[in-house]
Amino acid sequence: MKQECVEEEIAFLSKKILELNKQLAESENAKSKFLSLVANELNNPITVILGMIRHLKIVESEENKRNFELICEEVLNLDFRIQNLMSAAEIESGAMSASHELVDIGELLEEVLETLRYLIAHKESQVVFTNRVGKKIVVDSKKIFIILRNLLCNAALYGNQNGKIEIETKLEEGFLVVRVRNEGEGPDIEYKPQIFTRFAKAPKAETGLGIGLSIVRELSLFFGGNIDYEVHKGAVVFTVKILLDETAEDSVACGSNEFFFDSFDDAIEV
Amino acid sequence: MILSSATFIHVGQIHVDRAPGAISTVLGSCVAVCLYDPRLRLGAMNHYLLPFWNGNGLQSPKFGNIAIPKLVEAMLEHGSSLRTMEAKIFGGASMHMMASQSMMIGEKNVLVAREILEEYNIQIVAEDTGGQNGRKIQMDLERGKVLLKYTSSATTKG
Repeated sequence: MKQECVEEEIAFLSKKILELNKQLAESENAKSKFLSLVANELNNPITVILGMIRHLKIVESEENKRNFELICEEVLNLDFRIQNLMSAAEIESGAMSASHELVDIGELLEEVLETLRYLIAHKESQVVFTNRVGKKIVVDSKKIFIILRNLLCNAALYGNQNGKIEIETKLEEGFLVVRVRNEGEGPDIEYKPQIFTRFAKAPKAETGLGIGLSIVRELSLFFGGNIDYEVHKGAVVFTVKILLDETAEDSVACGSNEFFFDSFDDAIEV
Repeated sequence: MILSSATFIHVGQIHVDRAPGAISTVLGSCVAVCLYDPRLRLGAMNHYLLPFWNGNGLQSPKFGNIAIPKLVEAMLEHGSSLRTMEAKIFGGASMHMMASQSMMIGEKNVLVAREILEEYNIQIVAEDTGGQNGRKIQMDLERGKVLLKYTSSATTKG
């Protein structure tokens, strides 16, 4: 019986070694792809900015205003992409930590919409926001900001021209629930396992790194929540849940007294 | 001995610290590898959920084969060397009696730690793994010792 177990384990490990080798090759590949994507993604908006700045004149005119707006838009794009890259790097480094701030989710969302105002204007999206939270909550505002920004950016980007984007926030059984619904053809349900994977994106998508949803998923999981989506009747609904830790402000509680590090009396020393 | 200043780490986190700090966590079938350099009184701990990254999603340190090399790198970055590092492994309990043999997440988590540490030639000086109880651990960086307590019942904690 024991012999059998060992053999089984050896078989399992050798199989894993093979898999790991394959993954290593893929990962090296992905890494270089990642770097070149980073370079391109950072470079393209900057090229536009540098190009436009030369045409800026001090004289106030309609044309100047348009140029300036274009610059602003690209700067916002650049910022968004860099933020996402930073988040991905943070998650992969294992150095992710949560901060706890008292936040008005409505205000946070307004801020997100502000950063996406040009995209929303181009797509003539109609944004409807229903906030059922009704009080300030304790969350990591920066990470929630990144989650919201990715969801809304996707909704505007992949949603129909002149389509409606509905955002709903509410509290449910200790979770903050964010639902973002946009009109348009969503990613097919059959692609669900791939959609939260790095570098996956819609075939028709022309911009972006395809890491947004993988970041949103990792962040929601980090906060004890999850992400899911549904597609029906020409609309896509993404739902993100974040576990609210009401006691989080200073303690290290993990949901039960068992996990308080109150005492190490009678502990074994190794 | 109670160290209230201990840094608590969750699944997917890696923490490096120097004396007089302490690092703590709670483990079920998850495994934490503790590395310690007595020369520098420098220590690091990870906490991973599954043995292998499945190739999807971000390469987060929730996976042993990602978390352990990152832990070693973190120690090296802080001035330690492979020669002076020593390792302790904790966790890897079978939290559910009925879990099928093929799952064996806890055992696999422990195996991957031994394999990878051996590749680095890092000696495992202590180990408390397997069984059916969860564990609370706290690594005291002053003395290089790990305090361990079993949690009374099987929980769903990683």
